[in-house]
Amino acid sequence: MKKLLLLLLFVAVAFCGFSQQSQTQKILKKNSISKFYTCSLDKMLDTLALDYHLNIVFERDSLQKMDVVEHFFNDRLQDALSKVCSEFGLHYWIEANGIIYILQNTDDLARLKKTNKGDNMASGGIKPVLLPDPVEPPRHFMFSISGRVVDQGTGEPLPSASISIRNTHLTTITRNDGNFILFNIPSDTCVVEITNSGYQPEKIRLDAKKINEPLVIEMFTALNTLNEVTITGKKSGVMNTDTKKVGVLELNPASLDKLPNIGEKDILRAFQLMPGVAATNESSSGAYVRGGTPDQNLVVFDGFTIYQVDHLYGFFSAFNSNAVKDVQLYKGGFSSQFGGRLSSVTEINGKDGNKNEASYGVDLSLLSVNAFAEIPVNNQSTLVLAFRRSYQGPLYNKIFDQFNTSTVQGGGGPGGGGGPGGPEQTTPASHFYDADLHYNYRIDQNNVLTWSLYNGEDETNNSRALQIPSFLTSSVNSINITDYTKYGNLGSSVKWFKKWSKNVYSNTYITYSSFFNDRNRSTAGTTDDSNGDPVSFESGIVEKNSLNDVGVKSDWNWEMNNKMKFAYGGFLTRQGTNYNYVQNDTSTLVNERENAFSGGGYAELLIDPTDKLHLQPGVRETWFGPTSKLYTEPRFSASYLLNDHFTLKAATGQFYQFMNQVTQEDILNGNRNFWLLSNNTNIPVGMARHYMGGVSYETDQFLIDVEGYYKTLSGLTEYTLRQTNAFPGSIATLTQDFYNGTGYAKGIEVLLQKKLGNYTGWISYTLGQAEDKFAVFGNNYFPADQDVRHEFKTINMYHYYRWNFSAVWLFSTGHPYTAPLTTYTISTLDGNATTAYTVSGKNELRLPDYHRLDLSATYDLLKISGNKIGSIGISLFNVYNHTNVWYKEYQIQNNAAIATNVDYLGFTPNLTLSLRWK
Amino acid sequence: MEIKKHPIKNTLLLLIVAIVLNACKKDVTTNANTNLPVVQGYLVVGKPISVRVTMQKVLTDTAVYGTAIKGLKLNISDGSNTIQLTESSAGTYTYADSTFLTTGKTYTLKFNYLSYAVSAQTIMPAKPVNFTTQHTGMTIDDLLGNNNPLDTLNVVSWANPDSLNHVLVFNNLDGISFPASTRFGNATTNFELNTSRAAAYPFTQRTFAYYGHYQVILCAVNQEYINLLTSNASGSTSSNLSNQPTNVVNGVGIFTAMQADTLQFLVQ
Repeated sequence: MKKLLLLLLFVAVAFCGFSQQSQTQKILKKNSISKFYTCSLDKMLDTLALDYHLNIVFERDSLQKMDVVEHFFNDRLQDALSKVCSEFGLHYWIEANGIIYILQNTDDLARLKKTNKGDNMASGGIKPVLLPDPVEPPRHFMFSISGRVVDQGTGEPLPSASISIRNTHLTTITRNDGNFILFNIPSDTCVVEITNSGYQPEKIRLDAKKINEPLVIEMFTALNTLNEVTITGKKSGVMNTDTKKVGVLELNPASLDKLPNIGEKDILRAFQLMPGVAATNESSSGAYVRGGTPDQNLVVFDGFTIYQVDHLYGFFSAFNSNAVKDVQLYKGGFSSQFGGRLSSVTEINGKDGNKNEASYGVDLSLLSVNAFAEIPVNNQSTLVLAFRRSYQGPLYNKIFDQFNTSTVQGGGGPGGGGGPGGPEQTTPASHFYDADLHYNYRIDQNNVLTWSLYNGEDETNNSRALQIPSFLTSSVNSINITDYTKYGNLGSSVKWFKKWSKNVYSNTYITYSSFFNDRNRSTAGTTDDSNGDPVSFESGIVEKNSLNDVGVKSDWNWEMNNKMKFAYGGFLTRQGTNYNYVQNDTSTLVNERENAFSGGGYAELLIDPTDKLHLQPGVRETWFGPTSKLYTEPRFSASYLLNDHFTLKAATGQFYQFMNQVTQEDILNGNRNFWLLSNNTNIPVGMARHYMGGVSYETDQFLIDVEGYYKTLSGLTEYTLRQTNAFPGSIATLTQDFYNGTGYAKGIEVLLQKKLGNYTGWISYTLGQAEDKFAVFGNNYFPADQDVRHEFKTINMYHYYRWNFSAVWLFSTGHPYTAPLTTYTISTLDGNATTAYTVSGKNELRLPDYHRLDLSATYDLLKISGNKIGSIGISLFNVYNHTNVWYKEYQIQNNAAIATNVDYLGFTPNLTLSLRWK
Repeated sequence: MEIKKHPIKNTLLLLIVAIVLNACKKDVTTNANTNLPVVQGYLVVGKPISVRVTMQKVLTDTAVYGTAIKGLKLNISDGSNTIQLTESSAGTYTYADSTFLTTGKTYTLKFNYLSYAVSAQTIMPAKPVNFTTQHTGMTIDDLLGNNNPLDTLNVVSWANPDSLNHVLVFNNLDGISFPASTRFGNATTNFELNTSRAAAYPFTQRTFAYYGHYQVILCAVNQEYINLLTSNASGSTSSNLSNQPTNVVNGVGIFTAMQADTLQFLVQ
């Protein structure tokens, strides 16, 4: 009987191939136990192992001292195991090979695995078959295999998993959708090895049957990821560099809670801890990459462009990390698949969702509540929903005030927006929210439809009814002040993935993205005229800016062989911008509507002539309607493996940008950003050329990565909007000035990363320079606003059992600014005096150095079975409360100029609680 | 494989070299513009010439004008004749003969100060024509009275076929100011408005902050004056500061010519 069982088990194992874990789980769930134990725990586990044919590994020395006195009556085996584990503060963990480990601490797993030899393994257990021997001699040679790698628990595809054929140089990495293809497999008895960070390695023996259909490889999560790093493939850290490519950063959103956060786990803020991405712009979560500005960074979310990446004056980014699978930042020299921006690309991919069972989660912090659900709708489709909303607690108000406070005393707004009388003290209502929806429908093996929807909005509302003074109540009926600012995004895409053959597949998108930024500051009400009849009035300013972007695009990949891949595609976009400035309900001061059709295509070869050399030439062509011109962007990148540790890499290319984000300065109400399309007159098409190169040295433990870059820029636009005559006369004029110029940026980045062990982290140093030349400011180059010479960042993470501690220290030399040097006064024709400044050269001075320390501690909440169900964290921002200057403000009082510093956020603590349910 | 042994060392060395090379450059602000003289000169046909020259002030100086620059030799040329101004009071240089200024001529101011050859040039515009007002006065109400604040209550107009620059200057002739409403806060009794090259300007309830008799002066002005008027020179933050535009070479301020026509207007 026993032999039969063993045989059955063996057959089951052989058929499942790599699902011994499920087998063990099944045993634990299906069997019930009715027994009375009065013995030491190790003896009890020995009995269980023997009775149920389980492999249980534990430290006999420790468990010997634990005495069990338990009576089980018809209890599930799993419950019994949980009960005794919880009694002694232990966890059990089932590995992919079906072995159950009994752990006192989660970090014990690696040690137990190493010492897993005969005497401490429970007797009576069967040895699981890890890798079957070939059943017959090889019959097929030099063929290709393809397949998908997915998470065993959720069914979610795993990108960047490494696939290799044992004892050969054949290796590849899964794409974003988890698919892979490998050519020239020597024989059908080869072993495929699969590794991925955060997962237990898998091995599969090929056979004649398997090679004929796509392999679906299910990977099991690892208990902790500390010892799972491999050089090839994806790294396990929260933030990694792709050492094989120049200027590529990868973020693992699932590990974001290991970094300090101020209110929100923020994917864009996390990138700012890496070299080449400036970390000191607290008022913008957009990426300042290698001397570029946030509007030169393309942000693509599931195929559609996001135009506004900020929440709450830029303190938070607009993306909910719970809905994001992975993020890549290309710091320059990027592939011809991307275009339309001068500096960099941030590519964000939404989660596909849990295919096997519904899971839910909620994150609570002092700032926001964030809930998500992953629901398997049916066998073919999954749904991910995520929603986040801030609440106006003390932390929100602190940040809001920081970015909304000004020492300039404002009366009524220009054009009579404010109410009569002295300044009023009111607290505006303010909040932000965002929502994500991701629906994945797998029509069949070769066709997948994905619908993705993103919506986010910030709103500040200070609208109110004015208290009418008693002496006016006879003639004035009501006065209502409307005062709100709203901005946000709505974006959506439908993606059709089609696998045309084993080695040709395409992703076709229909995309929509819109951005709006509206402000309404107006007063309305009714009064009685001399006859006692009510007369209504309305005055104030209504500003509206919107952008719509509708497009189709199709990306194709043709994997010809192991040495050559061909990527190509086409796109068609219609963009429309609208900027409207209406005063007093009647006079439209600005009304600009622009539309642009653009279209084009790209092609790229990915060539690996040898194991060591990778070449990637490409070209992108864009026809831009407003200028009726064709823009050609050649691109090239290459890498060369000198040996196992050293990689040389380089990239170059030409880049065009067809729209600009311009900033309207407004100190009293916060700056406003909006987008304008390039044209043939005042806003030229921007152009950049990148030259980048680097070398990386990598071992299992350490990574040293040094990269240098030089960029030239032309067709830059600066914008000012000036309102004149606003006071006291009622007819105002707006003057829009567009200044055009050129620029360059250069720098060196150094990264030293410790990847493995209880202590991980990195040191990042960037030496950079970014200068512009605008004719309006003179004939010389001046430091660009975002120019920072030295930036030093050290990120330290320490893992101690269920605790994760981190310390982040940032130092950067000051941003440039322009200062008044002297004043002088001129009398105008009406006899009034105006005081003007003689100012320093443009951006000639530097603000004080920026530095701050952030600390955090996170405690993992675990189930008895070792699965993480959440965490509790505390974050401290700017621990030593250093005063970092944002900008300086000047005002004339009594003919003298008074300078005031406007500072960034001081010491701010935050608490977070994350919970997950399945 | 010597290099393999010292990757960190090499990187650090590179780093140190980079930092040292860069640290040698120091941010120093040397701006000679702070020594430039401040010139204020308005040439009006039929009026004596007066040009004030002062020094710029340090930021904390609470005096209205900077220290007067005395003892300069100021010349103004109209292309054929050159006159020299005399210093009537400290830093104020005058020339009494008003016939020197005529329409269409180009006037060039020149003087030397420290090592600077200071100069400025302006053209005398033509006198405004057909300056009229629809009414000789208008009635405005208290705060939010019977009028819609935006209703046009009066229009002043003039001939301007070439869309030239004009400003309207309002001088309140009453010694005592009677505020029309509290909404204007510290608005001055005298004020000026840019007409944006139009040929008419409407008056509304909000045009006037004070009751009283006004002298309404229509000035034909040059672009340099409009530039001064519309400049954002009192820009308030380190990210948007700029110099006030000036037509003075090696100096700051304004030297400009203009002609005016005047009306009387009553606000009650």
